[in-house]
Amino acid sequence: MSKIENLKKQWEAIMSCMGCGDCGFAIRPAVGRYLVCPVKEAKGEEGFEIWFARGRMNVLKSILEGKLELSKDLAEFAYQCSECGSCTDTCHETHNPYIILNTSKWIDHVEVWHALRQDLIKAGFAPLDRHAKLIEYMNNPDMRNPYGEPKEKKFEWLNDVKGVSKTGDLAFYAGCTEPLRQKETLLNLAKIFNAAGKEFAVIEDEWCCGSISIRIGDIEAVKPNIEHNIEQIKKTGAKKVFVACAGCYRTLKKDWPEIFGQDLPFEVVNVTEVLLDLINNESLKIPEKDTEVIKVAYHDPCHLGRHMDFYEPPREVIAKIPNTEMIELRRNRNNAWCCGAGGGVKSQFPELALDIAKDRIDEAVESGIDILLTECPFCVGNLADSVKKENTNMKVLDIIDYIATKI
Amino acid sequence: MSEVYQKLKKIVSEKFVSNDLYMRHAYSRNVDPVLQGIPEYVVRPKDAKEISEILKIVNEENIPVIPRGAGCCEFGGSKPIGDGGIVLDMKRMENIINLDEENLIITVEAGISWSKLNEYLSQFGLYTGCMGPGSGLTASVGGGISHHSVGGGGCAKYGACTNQLVSLEIVLPTGEIIETGSQANKYSKFPFNRFGNGPDLASLFCGDNGIFGVKTKVSLQVFPRPDFANYKTFLLPRKSVEASVNIFTEIRKKGVDVYDAIYIMDLLVSVGCQYGLFPLWDNLKRKRGVFFYVIEANSEVELEEKTKQLDNILLTNKAEELGPEIADGNFAKWHYTEQGHWLFAHNLWGVVPGFEPLDAECHTPINSYPAILKDLDQWDQEHSEEMNMILEIAGFRPITGSGPIILIDGNNVEFTCGFTSFASYIDGKYYDIIRETNIKLWKSILERVTKWGVQWYMMGEIMSRLMIEIGAYSEEYYNFLKSIKKTLDPNLILSRGKFNF
Repeated sequence: MSKIENLKKQWEAIMSCMGCGDCGFAIRPAVGRYLVCPVKEAKGEEGFEIWFARGRMNVLKSILEGKLELSKDLAEFAYQCSECGSCTDTCHETHNPYIILNTSKWIDHVEVWHALRQDLIKAGFAPLDRHAKLIEYMNNPDMRNPYGEPKEKKFEWLNDVKGVSKTGDLAFYAGCTEPLRQKETLLNLAKIFNAAGKEFAVIEDEWCCGSISIRIGDIEAVKPNIEHNIEQIKKTGAKKVFVACAGCYRTLKKDWPEIFGQDLPFEVVNVTEVLLDLINNESLKIPEKDTEVIKVAYHDPCHLGRHMDFYEPPREVIAKIPNTEMIELRRNRNNAWCCGAGGGVKSQFPELALDIAKDRIDEAVESGIDILLTECPFCVGNLADSVKKENTNMKVLDIIDYIATKI
Repeated sequence: MSEVYQKLKKIVSEKFVSNDLYMRHAYSRNVDPVLQGIPEYVVRPKDAKEISEILKIVNEENIPVIPRGAGCCEFGGSKPIGDGGIVLDMKRMENIINLDEENLIITVEAGISWSKLNEYLSQFGLYTGCMGPGSGLTASVGGGISHHSVGGGGCAKYGACTNQLVSLEIVLPTGEIIETGSQANKYSKFPFNRFGNGPDLASLFCGDNGIFGVKTKVSLQVFPRPDFANYKTFLLPRKSVEASVNIFTEIRKKGVDVYDAIYIMDLLVSVGCQYGLFPLWDNLKRKRGVFFYVIEANSEVELEEKTKQLDNILLTNKAEELGPEIADGNFAKWHYTEQGHWLFAHNLWGVVPGFEPLDAECHTPINSYPAILKDLDQWDQEHSEEMNMILEIAGFRPITGSGPIILIDGNNVEFTCGFTSFASYIDGKYYDIIRETNIKLWKSILERVTKWGVQWYMMGEIMSRLMIEIGAYSEEYYNFLKSIKKTLDPNLILSRGKFNF
């Protein structure tokens, strides 16, 4: 019998699942909820119940009761979940502060899925092949990023920017995806800071934050990264660290203190909070150089929204950009549809990630917008891949890139 | 793979059949913490023809089949009784086939949820009237028809969802496909009426708990959603049970057209407030029973008149009106405008972790439920020993009682009664003794309530079998039921084990 020590810690959540099925089928227009599970919907007619939370909870109940064991086959199911948290947001939720159903307090599905993944790793049934590569790359002293790129490459973007230093009150944690796959966004970030006359510190020898490893369930693998990065950040002397990646944001702000076991010696904020400050204190002035009004919508990344309850600053930034009309997508904020990239889905099951993204892109196109903005390089990457695959005219941009077009 | 698997694969294709162990466990439970049945196969058919072919094969092989809509039954109705057999997952069949806007009849595949259906209808200013069962966000239309479901809103005005049924397409247990009502006449182009062309055979399948056939297509009357609505909540005086009976009775006697009228008993209000479920009632000085109503109207004048009539009844019975907003305690506003019906349907669900109801749902005449509620208290006292045993293990004593009591058209109310207990897995350990005690107590309380002459409607595994075990059906009635079952399903393939078939 495999050990299931992490799942056992989640017994209250697992046994509190009443099996009502709202996590698979709920539609509640009154609160903006139109279906729940992106994986189940992407599976379409093949959407057996194991593809959404209730079916998975039934399996976990059987595992806790000793009727089922962990296995490689289970890992194949377990990792086809983007851990978007939409099920938790629907689960026995009234969405009204005056009427509360307690079951909603006991179940955090993402934590349950994490526990399962951790036990699968410990039992040797995970990581799956592509995930194993990511962790291997992340821990490789010559790489320290999940893309398998040489360590130095992550810092090449700095060769093309001015106004950065090694120390300062405000430091920027760049993460891996933007420096290695979306360098233009970082150059645009520097351009915005230059326009505002502000500087930020960069972190020397920054390693991967470990988000991918934590999502996969390998907590041990990430501990050296956390300790190293905290020490590197300390060297900048920064009191505040900002990130431009939703995955890094959740990992630094929530996971690092939990795994590290203590509060961090600096504050972690999102880039949109910094941009909003720059706009509000008039350091950053975005000229009204266009006459044409551009229709945009904001896609809430799961790691910012449902995971961290971070919804408004990106919208407030967008509202301050001239000649920009913000349209809310039908499913927004806590009801937002996942892009499909998270939870290790994009790396291990890329077709599933694209099938999920198509749903979101269809919704955005239907809303009549010109540009879908977001604040997560994974969302940008996967949604843009879907746009390309579906051959639509709508663009997908990071908010940083959009602002840069205006200055 | 087995021969049966190969045959199923040939019918539905490999993508829509599974005998994976995890997949089977995913379909092994419903909405109750104790009953489990693990199927041998799970199949997702696309239409009546595929179901017909499957049923023909399983008759040859003697394999039981259990249809499953959205799996919302709280009493083990949509998973196998015992292990084995095939679960027919009907959720692949969830399309809207036709909306007849002139005749206000909609035809859907049976796996569609009430919420998906009503969201579609809302684009046309229409709704289903009775909004399905209390699990309406998720529950399937086919499941609702199989249980005469009520509780999802609108049942004081429209009654059970089967009241709106026009026509059914059914695959009989031996594989034949029939249509009922107007569609029994093969020359009829579209469904328009349930009654006629001989006996009302649709009724045979309404509330059948899935034993007589697999519902594949459902035609329902739909209604224009009125433009005006009012919703009010009242705190009842002492002896709120008796007050609620008087109010329900007067509503019926005075013929007030009310959409929903619901009584929430003292225990639910007080324990719910104690455990943080009802911040809207935190400021109530006295945590007594609460009553709320919803009315709909086609004009302001009509709405005002109905409001006046209802308020008179409530105020005469010494009920105190709470404020108009949800924050003021107006539960009715939340219930109607935010479609939260499912979320409070059962007494103290999840009040502490792992705490779930073991109950059943029944109808009873308005004037009979005070005595039943008292007897539930008496039953609880009689079973203190078992309750305290669960308390010692789990740290929380089970709570006996009823969920909200809901006015249904005609002269009855619907209520959910039972007790709320723990599943057998607690804090890292599995307790056989809790599982056994739960089942024993569950049967005991349902037997007690049955003897008050109530009418169960969603029966599932537990109630359909208990009715036979305790001899609640007359011999003649049960023999008649059995003879119909044997005629339609000679090999007892469909929902095997329900009603002890």
